[in-house]
Amino acid sequence: MLQYVNMKIDGGDFRATKGSSVLDVAIEYGICIPHLCHVPNLSEIGACRLCIVEHVVNGRSKVTTSCTLLVKEGMVIRSNTEKIKKLRRNIAELLVAQAPNSRAIQDIAVRCGVKEVRYPFRNENCVLCGRCVRVCSELFGAKAIGFVGRGKDRRVEPPFGVLSDLCKHCGTCIDLCPMTFNPCEGYMKSGEEHLCGKCESQMLLADNLPESCVWCELGEGFQCSRY
Amino acid sequence: MSPELLDSILEGRRSQPHQLIEVLHDVQEHYGYISEDAMKTISNDLGVPLIEIYGVASFYKAFSLKPRGKNVITMCTGTACHVRGAKPLLNQATSQLGVQPGETTQDGLFTIEKVNCLGACAFGPIVTENGDYHHDMSPGKLRKLIKSLHPTRTEETSHD
Ligand code: SF4
Ligand code: SF4
Ligand code: FES
Ligand code: FES
Repeated sequence: MLQYVNMKIDGGDFRATKGSSVLDVAIEYGICIPHLCHVPNLSEIGACRLCIVEHVVNGRSKVTTSCTLLVKEGMVIRSNTEKIKKLRRNIAELLVAQAPNSRAIQDIAVRCGVKEVRYPFRNENCVLCGRCVRVCSELFGAKAIGFVGRGKDRRVEPPFGVLSDLCKHCGTCIDLCPMTFNPCEGYMKSGEEHLCGKCESQMLLADNLPESCVWCELGEGFQCSRY
Repeated sequence: MSPELLDSILEGRRSQPHQLIEVLHDVQEHYGYISEDAMKTISNDLGVPLIEIYGVASFYKAFSLKPRGKNVITMCTGTACHVRGAKPLLNQATSQLGVQPGETTQDGLFTIEKVNCLGACAFGPIVTENGDYHHDMSPGKLRKLIKSLHPTRTEETSHD
């Protein structure tokens, strides 16, 4: 039998299934917490840090990722404070500097309110979200790719860097990868990267309803789990 | 690389995935590096997916995926050793051996490694040679050390 807990998010009362994460509850009830590495039915690794919220315990608040935070009876969460918005904007800014040539990352940056990028563009083709790695090992049990190396050398690779017959060529890793779509205006050459920002109008409605999901089209771009 | 040795390393540890790090340490110690074949065998025998072994082996500095030389010269370039002159030491080693950190000389005699602290900062700059610590190193001392490990080259370069 399902068990429930009562909790508060941004002042509203919610009944949540025991065992689900704060992000799951937010997605279910239409509270907007932008997220990238979370994929329904895969394990949570808290890699992208976009889904941060304030968790209030005894009057003190702790910033933590909502995808890895399990619901508890009487829990108090704030998902949209000035502090969170600022931190989240900064994380999104770092992400878009890392990989400006992804439509999904550009969309997520706009959704998180990034207006300018203060960091040098790196033009990498991976943001280490681990979606591909998890779907490969958890859903298909193929375990054909994984994280390799560490620090600035961390990357996704098959064993020894060559694709082996462990790979079943299902293509799901590619479907889930946020890097697979170029920005609408096409590939940006190195030195010419910029924040696209053409979809900022999407934010008009969102700015007026900061906490709730407005079915922004940006969300579709970065595979928001509301879609 | 002899399969018997690997066999004896795996002895008593088969089907025990949690033994992975210990096995890798032993392979590193006895073979000087962890080869692809070794990883495949370990994967089979311990029941750990190959990608996990590759991920672990590539994560830790203690493991090398490429064959290493007979002598491993480890240069500390940590903060303390840096201010005490690690840079000229590194230059000495790379120019004397003709390889960069992480590389092995063609004759397979030397590998230069660079690490960030060897835990003996007060005695720096520190260089270890096959695990033996040498403190207060200077380029001159390092040159002699490398020479002493390399008898043939001693003849050629000992005119200075
Ligand atoms: S390859 Fe794509 S899906 Fe995989 S970690 Fe990198 S960005 Fe994420
Ligand atoms: S669709 Fe847009 S508004 Fe709705 S939860 Fe996703 S990102 Fe937020
Ligand atoms: S969705 Fe929670 S850290 Fe990425
Ligand atoms: S910095 Fe060299 S031993 Fe610590």
